[in-house]
Amino acid sequence: MEILVLVKPVPESESRLRPSPDGRQLDTEGVKFVLAGYDESAVEQALLLKESVPGSKVRAVALGPAARAEEVLRATLALGCDAATLLEAPPGRELDGAETARALALAAAKGPADLILLGKQSGDQETGILPTALAARIGRPGFSNVLDLRWDPGSNRFRFARATEAGEERWEVPAPLVVGLQQAWNDPRTAKLQNILRSRKLPIDRIPAAEVAAALGPAPRESATKFLLPPPRTGAKMIEYGRPEEAAEQLVRILRDTARVLP
Amino acid sequence: MAALPAGFGMPEFDLTEDQRALQEMARKFARSVMAPRAAECDRKGLFPEDIYRKGWELGLMNLNVPSEYGGSGLSLFDQCMIVEELAYGCGGMTTSIIANCLALEPILLGGTEDQRRSVLTPFCREYQMASFCLTEPGGGSDAGGLQTLARKDGDSYVVSGEKCFITNAPHAKLFTVFTTVDPALRHKGITAFYVPRDTEGIVPGKDEEKMGHRASSTSTVRFENVRIPVSQRLGAEGDGFSVAMRTLDMTRTPIGALATGIGQAALDHAAAYSLQRRSFGKPIGEHQAIQMKLARMATLLHASRLLTRHAARLIDGGQNATLESSMAKSFASDAAMEVTDEAIQIFGGYGYMKEYPVEKLHRDAKLTQIYEGSNEIQRIVIARELLKKYQH
Repeated sequence: MEILVLVKPVPESESRLRPSPDGRQLDTEGVKFVLAGYDESAVEQALLLKESVPGSKVRAVALGPAARAEEVLRATLALGCDAATLLEAPPGRELDGAETARALALAAAKGPADLILLGKQSGDQETGILPTALAARIGRPGFSNVLDLRWDPGSNRFRFARATEAGEERWEVPAPLVVGLQQAWNDPRTAKLQNILRSRKLPIDRIPAAEVAAALGPAPRESATKFLLPPPRTGAKMIEYGRPEEAAEQLVRILRDTARVLP
Repeated sequence: MAALPAGFGMPEFDLTEDQRALQEMARKFARSVMAPRAAECDRKGLFPEDIYRKGWELGLMNLNVPSEYGGSGLSLFDQCMIVEELAYGCGGMTTSIIANCLALEPILLGGTEDQRRSVLTPFCREYQMASFCLTEPGGGSDAGGLQTLARKDGDSYVVSGEKCFITNAPHAKLFTVFTTVDPALRHKGITAFYVPRDTEGIVPGKDEEKMGHRASSTSTVRFENVRIPVSQRLGAEGDGFSVAMRTLDMTRTPIGALATGIGQAALDHAAAYSLQRRSFGKPIGEHQAIQMKLARMATLLHASRLLTRHAARLIDGGQNATLESSMAKSFASDAAMEVTDEAIQIFGGYGYMKEYPVEKLHRDAKLTQIYEGSNEIQRIVIARELLKKYQH
């Protein structure tokens, strides 16, 4: 089975993000980009399927500025993916979900894949557009919010569940298809030290920025005009106290006289 | 005028992307697997074998074993970087994780190719622990005076004696043991062996109750007429002292890194607390009294890191770094004591309570001044190496 797993470099969850000085984008200076969130599950699921279906291969694909995408792809190779493709993002261009789908379609077109697997939404913007946008773009069935994804060799079909507001749907679908994954069977594995070292030396296939730009077509119809930090929260009052009784007394006074929620 | 001591050039310590990837992996393991269990293991004196097994699976256990035997085959610099990260999660667990490096190093240094292949490979193929048996109840620093006797008998030796403070001994499958063929020969009689745990006459004692490093396991090991074939001797009779000293030359520097990791955890706790705890109407971190402490703690840790990395880099480059590794070990462990002490002071009364994390760090830091060559021995070594450089 040929599996493509699509991963997005996203800021580490502990990073301190702030708008750039012109307010048009996020300041990514010093921010570390990693494999995270649902994408980690997608990689785990791809590796589990590879292990359960002999002869399978997993290729990881990432789109982004080269250095960022490379680090994330190296992480997938260390975890056990067999090959990696890096799509260099055209510099200075913010991509929306539909454009990302167009760019990733390039990688999908490079070879036949039985399964294109990705997180149901990215770890940063969380729009959740990509699984269906990509499926539409390449003309294959697409499913998102997928759980319990398995390959049934008897029927030559994937079997899986979809979590919906109305409950769980069960599906059986023949390859090829696009799956936005909600959860793998297991918690994502950790790469072994030896595999991390080995992965550093593996080749990564590259699709240059010019080719990606050509696939994107004209400039997007939407663009971000301003990034703002949430306004600082105000109105919190710290109670300074020595004994708990004093704190309780002060709190009652505030609730009664200022907030007027006590009689 | 005497020439200035060599080897004090400014080192270059930028990590490569490969090193960052290793560091990040160790950091993640330390913070997500080790740290959450550290307090409980410390309180109850638990030996978290599942964590050690997981560490082994990830390749964190036999860091110094070359890849041709299936180990991680890391440079000493990379080992130090990883040990610092692990110790940030729990000093005691780190001691147990790196004890294999200490126990297997004599086989790397003193073993034949056949011995190395037959002993080291199984450790990399499945999870097992090994223990390094040098110290005896009668003395640790005076390694030339050890009393465990190896009496030659045909094509084997019969070994009798007692070793103490042996890390992981109750769990070890293999021991490297230092004996004497004749106590009167002092250093020249020291002979090293490796011996599997299931050999008749090996009796590990009960787990010791320790002040710190309580997630690690420590006991005596008694050798009661243990018959060890000549084929398990490391080098010739009398080579043991050199094997032991060269082993400690390799493992001393990572102890500096271990101490630095404990100290860094203390600083991180203390600095975060100083921004949150208020007194006299402001966070205590805005009082100069606390700022002076934090500044000194950070400086000590930075210096510790530079000393350990510099020593490691010299050793990786094939240079003798006895002086620098002794400086690194003694400085970093003393620094860890001071930094963890000050962390408790910043936490005030809460710092003295077991409910808060810093008193454990202080107890864990203490051992780093004592084991793998006490700091007093390190300073004797430093002085001796230093004066050599001034002699004509």
